[in-house]
Amino acid sequence: MRLTLRQRQSVNGFLFILPWLIGFLVFVARPFAHSIRLAFSKVDMMAGFKLSYVGLANFNEAFFIDERFVPILVTVIQRNLVDVPIILTFALFTAFLVHQKIRGVTIFRAIFFLPVVIASGLVVERLFQQQVGSIEAVVGLDVPTLVYMYLPAQFADIVIDVMTRLTLILWRSGIQILLFIAGFQGISGTLYEAARIDGATDWEIFWKITLPMLSPIIIVNTIYTIVDGFTDIFNPMVNFLRTVAFSGSFRLGYAAALGWIYFILIFILIGAVFISSRKWVYYGGEREG
Amino acid sequence: MEYREKHRLSTSGIPWTLVILRKVQRYFFLGLVYLLLIDIAFAFLLPVIYMASSSLMTVQDFLDPGVYWIPRAVYWDNIILAYQSMNYLVGLKNSATIVLFATLGQIISCSLAGYGFARFRFPGRDFLFMLVLFTFIVPPQTIIVPLFILYRQLGWIDTFMPFTVPAFLAHGLRGSLLVLIFRQFFKRQPYELEEAAYIDGCSPLRTYAQIMLPLARPALLVVFLFSLVWHWNDYYEPMMYLMKPQNFTVPLRLQILQQGLQEITGGAAGEIFNEPLVMAACFLVVIPPLVLYLFAQRFFVESIDRTGLVD
Repeated sequence: MRLTLRQRQSVNGFLFILPWLIGFLVFVARPFAHSIRLAFSKVDMMAGFKLSYVGLANFNEAFFIDERFVPILVTVIQRNLVDVPIILTFALFTAFLVHQKIRGVTIFRAIFFLPVVIASGLVVERLFQQQVGSIEAVVGLDVPTLVYMYLPAQFADIVIDVMTRLTLILWRSGIQILLFIAGFQGISGTLYEAARIDGATDWEIFWKITLPMLSPIIIVNTIYTIVDGFTDIFNPMVNFLRTVAFSGSFRLGYAAALGWIYFILIFILIGAVFISSRKWVYYGGEREG
Repeated sequence: MEYREKHRLSTSGIPWTLVILRKVQRYFFLGLVYLLLIDIAFAFLLPVIYMASSSLMTVQDFLDPGVYWIPRAVYWDNIILAYQSMNYLVGLKNSATIVLFATLGQIISCSLAGYGFARFRFPGRDFLFMLVLFTFIVPPQTIIVPLFILYRQLGWIDTFMPFTVPAFLAHGLRGSLLVLIFRQFFKRQPYELEEAAYIDGCSPLRTYAQIMLPLARPALLVVFLFSLVWHWNDYYEPMMYLMKPQNFTVPLRLQILQQGLQEITGGAAGEIFNEPLVMAACFLVVIPPLVLYLFAQRFFVESIDRTGLVD
């Protein structure tokens, strides 16, 4: 059988992505569908994972009976909403510094990427238990009392929470710094030249050129940071789900339901970021076809 | 010349005062940048230095408020004890096996998929690529239960298959991100080389393997390091799928060591007495990727610039 050029291209393309497609079907799509069924069932592990349909009981339990789930969920959302802007601002700022053409900058780049290399969940968790990462260790002041003196209690709790995790938060920005550096390098120098000739100040150039040109990366980084924040092991939800599913009671159906609630939440959050991004993301020149 | 001196102008015709002002401004800016860079570097290095220094301390040194950072005498016993009680070599062998196969698998399959998505047109391509992105945002926790059941039915529990087989099929730890990196890289390459190869009768697979892949060295290095580091540090999945102690990876052994110490000393109060030992164990976990990074770091920083991670 002879194929047209176009058909041959299709076949070849398909062959290249075939391993991925098989992997997707076996390790993502099927488990994904399976977990929906699990979420509405009770799993009997002794009888070879036999499922019995229980309707919305698992979801009902998650929201109205289990008193651990909702508070953890709230903490996780709250932390993420606070952490994402901090990480992004910090990463952008650091990348900006490292992007300067000054001596010895490669050493700093190498150091700033260190967290990605050794951020072995456990090791970092252990380090930060010892308070090396808290603000007191860095500044040497009794900050909490100060904060509680000047801020309303509810707000102060969040501030303290951020402060005790500050280095931990900064340690999560390695990849983001990297992406921003790549982004800075992608901005063509002619834009800056043109702006300077027109008499723009550095400040104006940053807001009117650098930031809009970086906006596609900002969105990538935002999504990466959200996903990373929801799945890293400092996240109390990750531990909670593991406990429900695998220690002692093996409540697999309930764990699947919790996993689904969690997923829907992430999906909504990222969807919101995406939709809002249409307003502020600038895609220069032609979009890819 | 005389005119210049009379009006205090520099050789370029700008008043001297302005030149000096600009110089001061420049140095001030430079100083500020260095100050901030050093400050941030300090925040990143502090935990590492803490780990290294306290793992070389005796408990007395560690608890002595007079001892800062530098131990009175270098004390290797913590590291030796951690090494022995973690059964480090066995852990290293397990970790290395998983990391080696998983990284190799991801490099091969993710670059294939990335190339396919970047260079060929076929029906449903954009939809399938959306699925790649979708995979990235599905938290492992959502599908961990069905995966566990699947692996159990396949008899893969307590083997390294759950880490290596998905990796060879472009999944595994953040596989979708790696596909994305390769796709972005291949998209930026000029078409001329491939066209020349096709005209000479080269098959697509050979074109990919002999022409495009060698070009992709920067992307390969970035993906290699990411994949390796992520697999090495992962402990969520190994904890799920490995039950027998002889199969435990290095990070898992650290966890076991910590638990063991907690049982002996009875919780938080005793914890501080083991701190140097635990830090030594942490240090042993971190050392292999750290050494690798120290070697690869120069090429790595360069590669990042050339991969075009974002486009």
